[in-house]
Amino acid sequence: MRKFNIAIAAVFAGAVLAAPSAAPAQDRTVKITGFGAKSGVVRVFGVNSEAALKAAAEEINKAGGVTLGDGAKAKFTIEFLDDRCNAEEGISVVRRIASSDAFVAVGPTCSNVAESLFGILQKKVGDGSDSGLQFPIIADVAAKGGLAKISEWSFRNVPSEFEMYKALFAWLKTQHPDLKTIYGGVEKDFAHSNATFGVMKAQAEANGMQIVGQSEWLLADTTFSTQIRDMKRANPDIVAISAHPFTTCGALKEMERQGVKPKLLIGLTSSSSIETLQGCAKQAEGIIIPTSFAPVTPEAKKAADNVAKFGGSADLHSAAAYEIMFILKDVIEKQKIMAKPDTVKADREKMRAGLAALKETNGLLGKVGRTADREAIKPFLYVHAKGGSWQVLYKPSS
Amino acid sequence: MDLLDLIDTIQSIADGVLFGTTYALLGIGFTLIFGVMHKINLSFAAASIGAAYASLLILSAVKAPAVVVFLMAAAAGGVLGGLVYLVGFKFIPLANPLATLMSTVGLLLLIDEIIVHTTAGVPLNYPALFSDVIVPIGPFNLRGDLMFVFVLGCVCMTVLLLLLYRTKLGLATRAVSQQPTASQLCGIGIMRVNILTFVITGVVGGIAGAMTGAAIGMLSPLLSLPLTVKGLIVTVIGGLGSIPGAIVAGLVVGGLENFFQFLRGVSERDLYIMLLLFAFLVFRPGGIFTVAAGRD
Repeated sequence: MRKFNIAIAAVFAGAVLAAPSAAPAQDRTVKITGFGAKSGVVRVFGVNSEAALKAAAEEINKAGGVTLGDGAKAKFTIEFLDDRCNAEEGISVVRRIASSDAFVAVGPTCSNVAESLFGILQKKVGDGSDSGLQFPIIADVAAKGGLAKISEWSFRNVPSEFEMYKALFAWLKTQHPDLKTIYGGVEKDFAHSNATFGVMKAQAEANGMQIVGQSEWLLADTTFSTQIRDMKRANPDIVAISAHPFTTCGALKEMERQGVKPKLLIGLTSSSSIETLQGCAKQAEGIIIPTSFAPVTPEAKKAADNVAKFGGSADLHSAAAYEIMFILKDVIEKQKIMAKPDTVKADREKMRAGLAALKETNGLLGKVGRTADREAIKPFLYVHAKGGSWQVLYKPSS
Repeated sequence: MDLLDLIDTIQSIADGVLFGTTYALLGIGFTLIFGVMHKINLSFAAASIGAAYASLLILSAVKAPAVVVFLMAAAAGGVLGGLVYLVGFKFIPLANPLATLMSTVGLLLLIDEIIVHTTAGVPLNYPALFSDVIVPIGPFNLRGDLMFVFVLGCVCMTVLLLLLYRTKLGLATRAVSQQPTASQLCGIGIMRVNILTFVITGVVGGIAGAMTGAAIGMLSPLLSLPLTVKGLIVTVIGGLGSIPGAIVAGLVVGGLENFFQFLRGVSERDLYIMLLLFAFLVFRPGGIFTVAAGRD
């Protein structure tokens, strides 16, 4: 009996001793913090990014999770913080994330936030005289060109609008050689719209088109009659609108009222979304927009379904967030990131080095190239609004 | 300036004047509350847009005609107006003008954020009446939907003026506005008058929100702040407390906005409207029609 008691006690003791080492192996989690606009008029971007991060994390977790540097398997958890599309708020949010055990952050939504935020990061890795924040950030939405070169700690997985519009105008030249004149409409008080309009104009001219004028309006404008009357007088072959859905729809509705019917309509990348179709599907019929996402591959279809399950919509911006989770998984595994409180500094450096070393990643539409400036070269296609939905018009890579 | 420019200028001004009806309706809301309570309700335009959004709920359930949606907006505006009074005024010490001002700023942001969280900030289509009607007058074209907004705005203003000057409620409202203590001594319930004023202005706001949505063809939370600014400008130019002033100022601001847009472009347009506001504040602080002081 005594021997039996000893055996029982030994078994219990063994179980108790074994428990602490087994439990952490099962419970290991890696928290990825995203941030972006979850309030204000661009809330939809934050909602979609959060849904995409969660959808991708769930898919990775279902497949077994991520392997950490010590060989342990861990599950991803997602936290998403609101920066209200405000630069000061964004900096404050990232400082908060950087004060935790996080070794990377995903965001932000707005280019004005990214521009300021990347400015507080250390410019050059290893520069002892630069006291900037040493924390890797990878952007999913902020679209203004060339932002990642601000710091060696900043990365982006956003499409290059320059490349997309360059290819679009070259394609238009071959498909519609008869279209010679172009008129622009631009949301003057929005950095992204302005910058992209500059790209559109330059590419139109580079392809032999003549700019016959441009109309300007503000993000919250309610009347467009004066601007569209100018457009009507110019009688262009092509109208290119570089504006977000609210004013794109306002301008398109006014064009319909005034009977302005260009032979071709071109829109801003961000307008290839459900918002434009909800606001003015009829008037947007035929508008051509280059985009880096459409549910045209099995992976993209699956991603779109998964993001929808988390209450978001997959578009070119949220698809980037989805892809980022898989990029992070790969970097964590290749760089043997430990994800432990006492390895935070080393993990951040490994993450930065891993992201910087990437030459190519897997995207939802195919392989995504990486540049020395830490930007992405994403595959893209042209969609057009047809019958109340976005349909693929042409795939340049095909 | 050639003939085509002249035609475009006149057309732009005409479009602006017609759209200015929505500014006038908003101005009336601001001015009525100021006239009765001597307080500025900065959440008025946001509540108006909120009422228009609320009216879209009916469309999500059944395919209702535009008129029903507009009526729903007016009703929702009345309810929101009453709520704004209860939350932003009733329990706030009225002796401190800054307290109610700040509470209405809070309400503006709150209503805006409720809209944003409900719709994720996505612009929504809003129905319009006569949107496909264009009335040609010589070389000019007048939009049918804006003309409807204009007529409806005029009807609202007439009803409001009749309500104020031909009913007991209007008499009580004017009495409270001019002599609150004496009105109370005469047995007029100040709180009842106040809440009714908020409900009535809320109804006007709901109509203004619906007309704004109809004129643009869409609703967006982006509208709240610019319409608040426009409403305040109209109220100041029209004269605080003057309904006829708000009407005229709304139309003037709408017309001038388009005129300056045509002449100087979008980056300077608002500058001239602000200069106009300052000119009124300095040279004619009582507004277009200075309200006569004292008893009527």
